[in-house]
Amino acid sequence: MSAPLLDVKGLSVRIAGTSRDLVADVSFTLHPGETLCVVGESGCGKSLTALSLMGLLASPPLSVTGGEALFDGRDLLQMPLDQLQALRGDRMAMIFQEPMTSLNPALRVGDQIAESVQRHQGVSAKAARARALEMLRRVGIPAPESRLDAYPHNLSGGMRQRVMIAMALANDPALLLADEPTTALDVTIQAQILALMRDLQAQSGSAMILITHDLGVVAEMADKVAVMYAGRIVEFGTVAQIFEDPQHPYTIGLMSSMPTLGQRVARLVTIPGVVPQASQMPPGCRFASRCPFANASCAKTPDMTEVATGHRVACWQVPLEAGIDQRVSA
Amino acid sequence: MSAPDYILEASALKRQFEVAKPLFGKAKVVRAVDGVDLKIARGETFAIVGESGCGKSTLARLLVRLMTPTDGAVIYEGRNIASIPEQEMRDLRRELQFIFQDPFSSLNPRMTVGALIEEPMRVHRIGTVAQRREKVAALLSRVGLSPQIADRYPHEFSGGQRQRVGIARALASGPKVLIGDEPVSALDVSIQAQVVNILEDLKQEFGLTLVVIAHDLAVVRHMADRVAVMYLGEIVELAPVDALFDAPRHPYTAALIAAIPVPQVGARKATAKLEGDPPNPIDLPTGCRFHPRCPHATDLCRTSKPTLRARDAGGQVACHYADELTLDGLSAGSDTRSDAANARFEIYRAARARSEGANAPATTTT
Repeated sequence: MSAPLLDVKGLSVRIAGTSRDLVADVSFTLHPGETLCVVGESGCGKSLTALSLMGLLASPPLSVTGGEALFDGRDLLQMPLDQLQALRGDRMAMIFQEPMTSLNPALRVGDQIAESVQRHQGVSAKAARARALEMLRRVGIPAPESRLDAYPHNLSGGMRQRVMIAMALANDPALLLADEPTTALDVTIQAQILALMRDLQAQSGSAMILITHDLGVVAEMADKVAVMYAGRIVEFGTVAQIFEDPQHPYTIGLMSSMPTLGQRVARLVTIPGVVPQASQMPPGCRFASRCPFANASCAKTPDMTEVATGHRVACWQVPLEAGIDQRVSA
Repeated sequence: MSAPDYILEASALKRQFEVAKPLFGKAKVVRAVDGVDLKIARGETFAIVGESGCGKSTLARLLVRLMTPTDGAVIYEGRNIASIPEQEMRDLRRELQFIFQDPFSSLNPRMTVGALIEEPMRVHRIGTVAQRREKVAALLSRVGLSPQIADRYPHEFSGGQRQRVGIARALASGPKVLIGDEPVSALDVSIQAQVVNILEDLKQEFGLTLVVIAHDLAVVRHMADRVAVMYLGEIVELAPVDALFDAPRHPYTAALIAAIPVPQVGARKATAKLEGDPPNPIDLPTGCRFHPRCPHATDLCRTSKPTLRARDAGGQVACHYADELTLDGLSAGSDTRSDAANARFEIYRAARARSEGANAPATTTT
């Protein structure tokens, strides 16, 4: 396989004055054209991971305390600000969850797109505006000529998210980070935006990190999946490995918590309890307090072990069926 | 159900909001709920689904008179609660309770959890102080919280815990009907599952009638007995849950179902059957309100408005072509898991059952 576009090793993020990592030892690689879905619940560190890669952590109080993130062979985490600014919006771009708060309300959408084109490509204002028009057309905005001069508040939520996508893709980035890009949208609009993102990615061949809490979106978009819990990746694999051979108790619990669309079940099988607060994070496996398989060995942080090629799990009890006889007799 | 026993009915229910009043001429109105008829049977779970702005939250509020209708009637146990005096309505409120979507803004931050749950009983003069305190403790443990938290304030709790407090408060006055406006949509998946289970258990235990407003169709599929689909203030289809999901008769219902991303690899991709956004509710389209987005629309749909009429499985649909169109529902087996995955789920389920059994029932959190 070709060299990875992005190689993240041991990324850790900490909040000033505490000793627990909000993102702990996160590692993954991403190749051109691939989509990695990072899935997990509120506070699992999925957004912080993306923000650290973009150099957008609210620092202070947050800071990267370890690891490296090689993008085209250069470490994003050590990069001087001017170099990072040259990359952001150009070679790597981000789409945020809430298009209303991430677009400038006082600027016409055409100018917002053109601004980044001019900044990174050094073209004339006229050429940048032409590029903005082309992008609006590519993301499927009807009557794009008249929308160039619209303000964000003139557009619906779905249209605003299309503008965000147009802006992110205007300079043909090699890496796109999308943080819950469809969460704020209605389901029929979500389907439009996901289809659009798939098409545009197929055309441009860019790699994508898609952050979501929705396993349906994961199944639909991902090549690879990272399941995060309380700041750590607990399971990593191809989308088929994660859905057809889930190994980590959290992954399984998350999937069984979701109501299925097929056969109705009498009762959802849940994960008990809540995520421990960052200040009360237990030593060892962070899922142990909610895990029905936990035992004394879980007081030690589990290593990532490979259960199949490219399928890694951080759990002492894996494979779960191996331990079942002892547990029943115990 | 042999002889349907309806506990709550809406009849030609309308609610309009004035949005902009020009100096001269007629004010512009949004017809948020525009002529809704429905009957909710005692003991069922009735879901109302639709996208943002379809009027589902307004309808929920009208059903318990948190809002007064512009026109039409809401019949609860044979009485039109849209027109009874406020004092009488206040007494009825103990039987009709509401759960709000946002557990962060719907609990008074200055009241303790115990006071919040006790308040409905105090207002309705239920029990003595000591009895009420006992009831608060019982309700807290019933929703999976420790009775010891009664002296603490809402900000000390997570979203899921606050939603449990909201449910305990709604139950305090001994309601017959519980209406939830997106009661689980602000919660994380694992917490959402816990709250869904609690609602279902409580429904069984107290013989409640549940009305759930939701946009998450998987949750609706799991919880509901019957489902009404709303579009721009009107019900476009209403049917038993399986009939609605497996054999939708309205193109909008079919489009909603097709847009659900299925959490299974290789399942059908979510498809955007609809172009564009819902139209502006101020300038409603002529004819069928759905025709500008409908892939099957004809001239008839542009000019003539379809009325809600009977469909199969005891449902109703408002589409001129309901009988002719072949629409896809959830194809059978579209959400089946691999054998390996099923085996893992079974191991997990068994392990959960064992650890639940090991805990005292009052402290389990599912």
